[in-house]
Amino acid sequence: MKHTVRFISFVVIAAVGVMFVLNMFVGSAQQSESPTAQSTQEAIPSPCTAPAANAVATVGMIADIVSVVGGECVSVTALMGPGVDPHLYTATERDVETLFNADIIFYGGLNLEARMVDIFEQISTGLGKPTIPVSENVPAENILTEVVYNAADPHVWMNPLLWAYAVEAVRDGLTELMPQYADYFTATTDAYLIELHALDEYIRQQLARVPEEQRVLVTAHDAFQYYSHAYDIEVHAPQGITTESEVGVQNIRDTIALLVERQIPAIFVETSVSPDVVEAIVEGVRDQGHEIVIGGSLFSDAMGDAGTPEGTYIGMIRHNTDVIVAGLLGEAGS
Amino acid sequence: MNGFDLSLIFLDYTIRNVVLGALVLGIVSGTLSAFAVLRKQSLLGDTMSHAALPGVIIAFLITGVRAPLPLLIGAMIAGWIGTLIMRLITAETRIKQDSAQGLVLSVFFGFGMALLSWVTRQPGAEHSGLDNFLFGQAAATVAEDVQTMAMVGILVLMLIVVFWKEFKLISFDMQYAKTLGLRVGLMDVLLTTLIVVAVVVGLQMVGVVLMSAMIVAPGVAARQWTNRLGVMIGLSAMFGAAAGVTGALVSSTALNMPTGPVIVLAISAIVVVSLLFAPERGVIWEHIRQLRRRGVLHAQIARQRLITDSKRPAISSQPANQPVAQPIPVQSGGSANAKGVLKP
Amino acid sequence: MVTKNANNIPLVIEDLTVAYREEPVLWDVDLTVPQGALMAIVGPNGAGKSTLIKAALDLVDKAAGRVTIYGKPYAEQRQMVAYVPQRGSVDWDFPTNALDVVTMGRYGRLGWIKRPTKSDRQIAYESLVKVGMESFAQRQISQLSGGQQQRVFLARALAQDAQLYIMDEPFQGVDATTEKAIITVLKDLQANGRTVLVVHHDLETVPEYFDHVLLLNVKAIASGRVDEVFTPENLRATYGSRVDALIRQGVEA
Repeated sequence: MKHTVRFISFVVIAAVGVMFVLNMFVGSAQQSESPTAQSTQEAIPSPCTAPAANAVATVGMIADIVSVVGGECVSVTALMGPGVDPHLYTATERDVETLFNADIIFYGGLNLEARMVDIFEQISTGLGKPTIPVSENVPAENILTEVVYNAADPHVWMNPLLWAYAVEAVRDGLTELMPQYADYFTATTDAYLIELHALDEYIRQQLARVPEEQRVLVTAHDAFQYYSHAYDIEVHAPQGITTESEVGVQNIRDTIALLVERQIPAIFVETSVSPDVVEAIVEGVRDQGHEIVIGGSLFSDAMGDAGTPEGTYIGMIRHNTDVIVAGLLGEAGS
Repeated sequence: MNGFDLSLIFLDYTIRNVVLGALVLGIVSGTLSAFAVLRKQSLLGDTMSHAALPGVIIAFLITGVRAPLPLLIGAMIAGWIGTLIMRLITAETRIKQDSAQGLVLSVFFGFGMALLSWVTRQPGAEHSGLDNFLFGQAAATVAEDVQTMAMVGILVLMLIVVFWKEFKLISFDMQYAKTLGLRVGLMDVLLTTLIVVAVVVGLQMVGVVLMSAMIVAPGVAARQWTNRLGVMIGLSAMFGAAAGVTGALVSSTALNMPTGPVIVLAISAIVVVSLLFAPERGVIWEHIRQLRRRGVLHAQIARQRLITDSKRPAISSQPANQPVAQPIPVQSGGSANAKGVLKP
Repeated sequence: MVTKNANNIPLVIEDLTVAYREEPVLWDVDLTVPQGALMAIVGPNGAGKSTLIKAALDLVDKAAGRVTIYGKPYAEQRQMVAYVPQRGSVDWDFPTNALDVVTMGRYGRLGWIKRPTKSDRQIAYESLVKVGMESFAQRQISQLSGGQQQRVFLARALAQDAQLYIMDEPFQGVDATTEKAIITVLKDLQANGRTVLVVHHDLETVPEYFDHVLLLNVKAIASGRVDEVFTPENLRATYGSRVDALIRQGVEA
């Protein structure tokens, strides 16, 4: 009997030990070198043959613009890969290590990475590393407030013209870190800003194809306010700006009522949010005799897979626009 | 919310399905709760539901899809493994049942959380929604979910009806049952499986963390009101159902109100009322009865003194010679405990 | 004392050894319970008395030994044996009444799924009458006194209508009335040709109540007719020197 006890204690302690070890390796940092728009890179000669600094970004959209602005001079690591929800993300030991070893850190701010706020605090004040909340570079009057909780809405990247401020924040941060490459960073930024303007134009053109009464975008969570304001399209979502809370029954019913009343042909899921809620809404709408489809999957808090067009910021927004327009024009099927 | 229209329960798709789902959940978990409480296995439900988390995630990792059925089967398997390990620990080591339960619960749950945090970091969107198993996402209940739950629920209830006397016997006196030749091990496994199923049925709506309340509370509440087994089971199911339906309805009256926690609040309220106000076992009545008994006792002693004092010359107060109180008559059916001593 | 497995001996135990963890609780115990005997098992605390009957009933694992009931293994003869466990082995705060508990004694005959019939309930009621508890048929078992609970357990066993009755400390902690009632029932059983084996805690009453006895202290010290075996020497061997005080009180064979 003593032997059995000893054996079981050993097993339990070993299991606990394994768990500790695993924990250190869990949360693989995504080494994503997001493919940047080729045209920009080719046009601008880089002064670096190898990366001179190591930058860490939280979400893919930020990593993408950092790699655009930084070009060959900066190596970028994204903590959160495609399909990861930044509102719920908690940093692991490994992530913290990655952050410690970075030369410069870019994050969204405005409470996007709700569970990492303390870490950024500590790194910035404690380690004195440049830690830059890129969205907070957007002028205060352009920041939208979320109605229910009176908090700032962090989904700034939905408006390319506002995201331009974030790009500038990146440029400024990199320039301060490596003043010798200031000109290069300025050049890459300017070229990219041109593309952002082109994107903005594209979105306007596309959305103009949808008649005004039908311009209603219903998604899983409320990530598209900036898109809505910029491009004159109504948005509605059963879940608020963060996915941290459970959806309420009344929220779902309100969304169903809206869809039926306005005869909206499509509702959209998001890649980083569970489609259960959207599917429940679709069933509720159909139960009332209204025909509705899931128009497609939108990238809200995360981009697509690396190596695909949707794996870049511009590609992501374009994809969203195409899917939305197709859905609202009734061209989508599901 | 003003003027809630009750016909919405039937007419509105969302409310109808959430209420029906909660109803099934309440009935099934309430019924099994009664048995769990009688067998002193209430915490088993808690252990099982926490242990289910890694099962859900591993099932997802194996199948790659988030369809309800494989995930719930994974939950069942994990819940069962947790139970087995618990029994193994209790049987083979000197560790007592409560420690074994705590051990299994935390290790499994911790493992589940580690897995969850790893899975949600992986690229791809299929895994989103797995963390809804923590607290449930009742509002997203659709007709298909309700159908599945109802079918499982009917199966569970049928089995309880069929094996009623067997379950009663092993809950009361397992050793004796064995001597009668009853397949005690088999029945025990069956009843435990039914408890696991009851836990799993509710996971999507109420979540891993809160489901234990639905396995513990209804049985505890029901026990307060009756001394008949059949009535207790029925009451327990009813309490579960009432909590489910009330929780579902109340949570639908305001924006952003989560359903699972409100259901648990409802059943908690039922338990508190039952513990305090149940006629025979309720704390408040017991307290009042105690005060009354003391009052009667004092009155009897006072009467005794009057009688004996009136028979003596009223010279000395004689505290030392106070007559022994007459033995308080015990009725033929007197119970051994103090409770029955002073029944009129 | 090895006997052949005879078909008319209610209980034969051979070479029974039971050990919890490393300590032996029963060591190489042999016992023959003759037909119609009213036998007591006595011994100091921890002597293995309860374990003996539990091992016979397959409720605990045996390290070694054979148990036969009327010549066949216990598993094949369950219908012939009725068990009355210790009162403390259940939680009496279970929501049911006395009649229901006694009816449970009929479950063995019903097999799977079938419900007890009217005749089963009638038999249960009559068993309650035999132990003098018929007026408590509808009473909640949590409201019964210790002695009454004991009688309910006994009635449950009676309802089985078995040949061999095995009881674990039925007289422990009961009042005098109950004790009288129980021993009356046991003698009645004996008169009807049944065999009764009782784990007993009170040496004083052994000669009065029983005609056979097993003196047990991990090993079987002696077994047989009370007038032959219940001697001071055997008692000393079973209980050690402290039994001398008891002997002086007149507990003689």
